[in-house]
Amino acid sequence: MQFNPKASLEARAHMEKLLGLDQPVTVQYVNWLRRLIRFDFDRSFRDGRLVTEILWERFPVTLAINVLTLGFTFLFAIPLGVLAAVKPKGLFDRATTFLVFVGYSIPGFWLALLGITFFGVHLRVLPVSGLHALDYEVLPWIGRLGDLLWHLILPVGVMTFISLAGLSRYVRSSMVNVLRQDYIRTAYAKGLKPWRIWFCHGLRNALLPIVTIVGLSLPDLIAGSVVMETVFSLPGMGRLFYDAVMARDQNVVMALVTIGAFLTLIGNLLADLAYAWADPRIRVGESQR
Amino acid sequence: MRPPNPKGHLRAVLFGRSQSLLCLIVFLSALHASRAQAENSASAVPSKGDALVEASIGDASRLLPILASDSSSGEIVGLVFNGLLKYNERLEIVGDLAQNWQVTDSGLTLTFSLRPDVRWHDGKPLNAQDVRFTYERLIDPAVATPFSSAYELVDSFEVLDERTVRVRYREPFAPALESWMMGIIPQHLLAGEDLNTTGFLRHPIGTGPYRFKRWKSGELIELTANEDYFEHTPYISRYLYRIIPDQATLFLELLTGNIDLAGLSPLQYDRQTDSLYLRQHYRKFRYPSFGFAYVGYNLQDPRFSDILVRRAFELAIDKQAIVDGVLYGLGKVATGPYPQESWAYDPQVQIKGRNPQQAQQLLAEAGWADRDGDGIVEKDGKPFQFTLLTNQGNEVRRQAAELIQRHLKEIGVDVKIRILEWSSFVHEFIDKRRFEAVLLAWSLSRDPDLYDIFHSSKTKTGEYNFVSYNNPEVDRLLVEGRKTFDQESRRAIYHRIHRILAEEQPYTFLYVADALPILHGRFEGVVPAPIGIAYNLIDWHVPPAKHRYRSIQKSESRNQKSEIR
Repeated sequence: MQFNPKASLEARAHMEKLLGLDQPVTVQYVNWLRRLIRFDFDRSFRDGRLVTEILWERFPVTLAINVLTLGFTFLFAIPLGVLAAVKPKGLFDRATTFLVFVGYSIPGFWLALLGITFFGVHLRVLPVSGLHALDYEVLPWIGRLGDLLWHLILPVGVMTFISLAGLSRYVRSSMVNVLRQDYIRTAYAKGLKPWRIWFCHGLRNALLPIVTIVGLSLPDLIAGSVVMETVFSLPGMGRLFYDAVMARDQNVVMALVTIGAFLTLIGNLLADLAYAWADPRIRVGESQR
Repeated sequence: MRPPNPKGHLRAVLFGRSQSLLCLIVFLSALHASRAQAENSASAVPSKGDALVEASIGDASRLLPILASDSSSGEIVGLVFNGLLKYNERLEIVGDLAQNWQVTDSGLTLTFSLRPDVRWHDGKPLNAQDVRFTYERLIDPAVATPFSSAYELVDSFEVLDERTVRVRYREPFAPALESWMMGIIPQHLLAGEDLNTTGFLRHPIGTGPYRFKRWKSGELIELTANEDYFEHTPYISRYLYRIIPDQATLFLELLTGNIDLAGLSPLQYDRQTDSLYLRQHYRKFRYPSFGFAYVGYNLQDPRFSDILVRRAFELAIDKQAIVDGVLYGLGKVATGPYPQESWAYDPQVQIKGRNPQQAQQLLAEAGWADRDGDGIVEKDGKPFQFTLLTNQGNEVRRQAAELIQRHLKEIGVDVKIRILEWSSFVHEFIDKRRFEAVLLAWSLSRDPDLYDIFHSSKTKTGEYNFVSYNNPEVDRLLVEGRKTFDQESRRAIYHRIHRILAEEQPYTFLYVADALPILHGRFEGVVPAPIGIAYNLIDWHVPPAKHRYRSIQKSESRNQKSEIR
């Protein structure tokens, strides 16, 4: 970063005035609140576009990556957690514990670079970075979808591996408690198949803490990982936020923070509703009857 | 140093037809030479096609010349638009959209005649009204342009006819020529638009060698060759600007051959690009950048206002060690604000080698000596300690600061280093003068004018003489340099400024770093010159056998045909 001596003091003062930055902070804040009521986040300082327009452009990328990551994390973490809980401290439990903690401890950017180097540079089976091939525009729709998924394998894979640890540990500890309950012993005594006991009888009661996690991860769905999006050159919300902070693009930063706050509230609400679904004891209205 | 080139002069009448003819001949013979080369390898006529993929860390922001203040936007805008004038490969000012131009009334009046054969990418011809429109937007208070100050001295702007404009200045202003390198924007598309927010910012239409095609934010910008470009159609059919924010990822893309052109760090250039693959498939280039790194002292601080101290520091800091250790030798020691290749550089200014003994003597003369034997010099009982500030995120500067710390320790000065985030650095420390010394760099344009940096009037908050340098002779020379158009006279003026600055050391000038681009080897017609490599992009070409992006080309033309039907 360097100064540009060609931008004079007058030019700068003039630009501050055009952007409304010469006003006192309180006035700026009130103006911002007024616009917020109309969901108007104004324009980016950087490129003069409407903030909402920029968000709509970045939002699908991050949402797609995070939904896929979250889906795969559940897909792998729940069986891993359940099976580890069946025989706590058994060989499978120890092996998965080791593996998921390796994933948890490795710095994300480093794992990502290792993945790129191995699959992208040495084997040349996966793209190094980006979201689309250069000839994406001329592909038929099926080719476009394939190209997109092909570009998503590595980032989603790396992010899933990293987030496996947290969820699978929650499932495990929750399951260990549930599997000690009397009704589980009853189920065994009835002669049910073990996988049916674990996944149908046990898991349902072990779900409660997991529902909390899902609710709390809702804002993460749009937050996007700065590190991953930077390393893989993905044009998502994480990079948008980081670039906006670095460029002091106030309107973009404010919009992202506000939306993040809203989604956290909605996530908490949804988690509460899901509790009621998962655990009848929590249903306030019905208990009064 | 190059001998003075008579074409660089800006006398009363310049660049009439004879000289453009000369240019044409030079150009044709150069073309001939490159063709002869090509004949040896593949085909006689440069073939069209293929694509150039350039990688950049940052995305562009606004693709309008008068608003493009970041380097990415500047690069794209440079390919889509043309100014009235431009620098040629030897850094001389030549016509671009202007067929010829005249400087009259000892620099008070500039007259430009436009080329007759220029069309906008939408087919409309360029005319003088577009130039007037561009000028009016540049000085329009409603347009958020950072470039307005270069036009403050304009007294009047007249359109004489369809193809001629005349600009009068209140006083002669030599850097004005450079200001007319600003890209000209189309009046017929932008009249009545709010330039700060118009959709044109993302779909620019210019006169340049490449047309804008698409921009996917944070991913890539695509341009295609302008078939009607007034010089000739660029041989490379597509230009893709990929945004890859991580330097490590960018390097891995290079290793897979997915990127054709990128800038390297000194470490990458020197140590990491020696693999067989890169040596076989890529060419590395190296040329000095315009700009210099320096240590600037707060001259309001009594310790630094003493010239003996600043001279002692110059002798104590081993600049060559910084160039060798931090830039891996990929730069040059600076003695003043100009790179050695500039005509403003005075070759008689001596590069002073490191001399700690003499530095200590100078400090002693200034009253600084180690009286209590703790290794730090004192004066009036106070040890010489100061904090050197530099900005976050620049590894080269951080390492340079550490070397300076060590060098100054050897003459008994205790330096602390503090690394600050850019924005707070500028607003809290520079603007408020809350610093003792800073390690920073200036990137400069090719015109040697340094009025904003060293003139004593430019010391207000937010202005750039933040070290508070004040030398009446330099002030006078800076003003004179701006008013003089004759390059010989200007040369003498800037040589004198260079000598005074080297003598007085308001900054310790450290180094001029090299630009280090790497380019895929399949491109031919690349001729490195003082200005760099990209100046003749339209002449680059790839032999058909080596085309990399063939398939895209075909499918695209198929698409175009189907559109036409």
